[in-house]
Amino acid sequence: MFSSFRHSMTWLHTWFGLVLGYVLVVVFFFGSLSVFDREIDRWAIPSSRFEAQPMPSFDRLLEPAFRSILPDEAEYEAADALVTQPLPPREQLEPEEWWAYTTHRDPVLGIGAGFGLPHPKDPEAHNHVHGSMTIDPRSGKVIPSDQLALGSGFFYPLHYSLHIEWLGLGYWIVGLAALVMLAALVSGVVMHRKVFRELFRFRPQKRTQRSALDLHNLTGIVALPFHFMFALSGLVIFSGIYLPVADTMLKPLHDAHEKEEEAQTGLPHDAAGVPAKLVSVDAMVAEAQRRWAARDMAGDVGFLVVNHVDDANLTVSVYRAGTDRIASVGEGVHFKGTTGEVLHEDPPQTQVSSVNEFVTGLHLQHFKHWLLRWFYFVGGLAGCACIATGFIFFVEKRKRQHAASGAGGSRWVDALAVATVTGMVVATLAMLVANRLLSEDLAGRDGWEKTAFWGTWLLAFFHAALRTTPMREARRSPAWSEQCALIAVLAVCAVLLNWISTGDHLLRTIGAGYWPVAGIDLTLLVGAVMAALTARRLWSSTPRQIAIDARGAAYE
Amino acid sequence: MPVGLPMNERLLLGIALAVTITGLCWLALSLDAHWRQVRGPQRLKPANVKLLRALGAAALALSLGICLRVDHPSMASLVWVMALAASAMIVAFTLSWRPRWLAPLVIWIRPG
Repeated sequence: MFSSFRHSMTWLHTWFGLVLGYVLVVVFFFGSLSVFDREIDRWAIPSSRFEAQPMPSFDRLLEPAFRSILPDEAEYEAADALVTQPLPPREQLEPEEWWAYTTHRDPVLGIGAGFGLPHPKDPEAHNHVHGSMTIDPRSGKVIPSDQLALGSGFFYPLHYSLHIEWLGLGYWIVGLAALVMLAALVSGVVMHRKVFRELFRFRPQKRTQRSALDLHNLTGIVALPFHFMFALSGLVIFSGIYLPVADTMLKPLHDAHEKEEEAQTGLPHDAAGVPAKLVSVDAMVAEAQRRWAARDMAGDVGFLVVNHVDDANLTVSVYRAGTDRIASVGEGVHFKGTTGEVLHEDPPQTQVSSVNEFVTGLHLQHFKHWLLRWFYFVGGLAGCACIATGFIFFVEKRKRQHAASGAGGSRWVDALAVATVTGMVVATLAMLVANRLLSEDLAGRDGWEKTAFWGTWLLAFFHAALRTTPMREARRSPAWSEQCALIAVLAVCAVLLNWISTGDHLLRTIGAGYWPVAGIDLTLLVGAVMAALTARRLWSSTPRQIAIDARGAAYE
Repeated sequence: MPVGLPMNERLLLGIALAVTITGLCWLALSLDAHWRQVRGPQRLKPANVKLLRALGAAALALSLGICLRVDHPSMASLVWVMALAASAMIVAFTLSWRPRWLAPLVIWIRPG
């Protein structure tokens, strides 16, 4: 079918890259935003704008908070089908497990509980419902859950699931896109050949097709290790979904492993069925911290789990926050909840599990390293630039031919590229603006914010599709520059609205050293300047660019 | 950079980034096209090509060493790889718009 290996790689890169590029650019952009998801949350929920807090005292603050968690209403109602007798009222379901998770960037604390279902139809099944809430760790006060955390609650899930929940299809589309990303990177290197000789080459004064390809190669090659590792580690993180062997082919092995683990660690898998009381967890936390310090790994608590609540088999697991290394949490110390004695301390990791921890940890990035965080952000945006210039190159290469023959292919590709590249940014900014404009006590506020996002994105697509007429004459679609201008306007509006609605202007946030909000405002302003410059360049260069492009075309 | 690291560690990371950029500049200038952007029609002698590449490689090794001093090796390796990516973009964009800014880095190479 293809005359050479390189030819076949070019075909693969062009067509798979084009089709899944639209997904990938979304994944890259919202992944980049997710690097600062907690900071975006602070920006979007002004009542949570205070310093990050350590894990609070369990005995004084967490336990009463855990005891006040109710099962999620929807889960509770759905659970009716899993039991043989009517469920007790929501308030009377007994908790079986509690968890609390925090990082060095969280002022508020997410906690949750699992509740066992009495009289299950299938005793072998999971038979659990869950409940969760967010509290202020300074006072134990519950933070109302009606405010949408734009960063961790919307942009982050969009990054890995596209918010397509039906059949978990979103995960599969993103996974397929990641797989294609790996293939696109390898095939791209095969096509490119002169990797080092052209590594630093970007010639903005050349015609669009040439300079777009330069930028595509540049951003693709310099950030190649980053892009490769992130596509791969993303697949590793969700491998349990893509290859659910622990529930299918290898289920017996998985169950045997659980039993083996129980025997080795002394942590009971099942409840004893005898009520018992929990002793001081604060003392256990102090003991865990003493043990970490003795291993030269002094640290804070990142994750705390209580299993078999109020049962004789009570266990408490305390995990260290992976703040200073590439790990989420680790070095668990496990206690017998009724006495406080140590049952088990996680042994030093095996080679395999430390590789796994590194690969997933580098992607999930719970570490404390602001320079690396910014590098990730820039690397992700470089990925967006790489994909966007890929679209532009595709269109530039074909638009004259398509204009001459009357084919609409490059027009559609261009309209979709505008909608996904600039349209996605416009929609994100519209959501930030809506977040600051809508009244805090508006019922269904989060729904309006989501409507602002998806509605604006849809409008951006229609705008892009309607403005492609000049492409019939092989000219550039004005939608690019118009949406760039809109990005600049909306970004400035978001910063101004933040100031008006909260009083937190940049002089104040920088003066107070409150970087979560100052950083977002500054990034918005830098983005606005870049978008405005791009729009201006696209407007002013149109006649000159046409001349250069025409000369280039004639030369060919 | 926001608070988080002690002052001297921040300084060391700044130095690591500067060294990475310098190293990549030398590597870029060992390529004929970029050399001409900076020094015009003067030719670059083959011996100097080798020297620039050796210097570039040494600078990158040095920056890795500095990163390893500041952070746990697992973190340092990522910081270094990402510093390479960011620096390569900075060098490429400087060559696109302000190539002469790199001239001081090769001021000691006499026209040949």
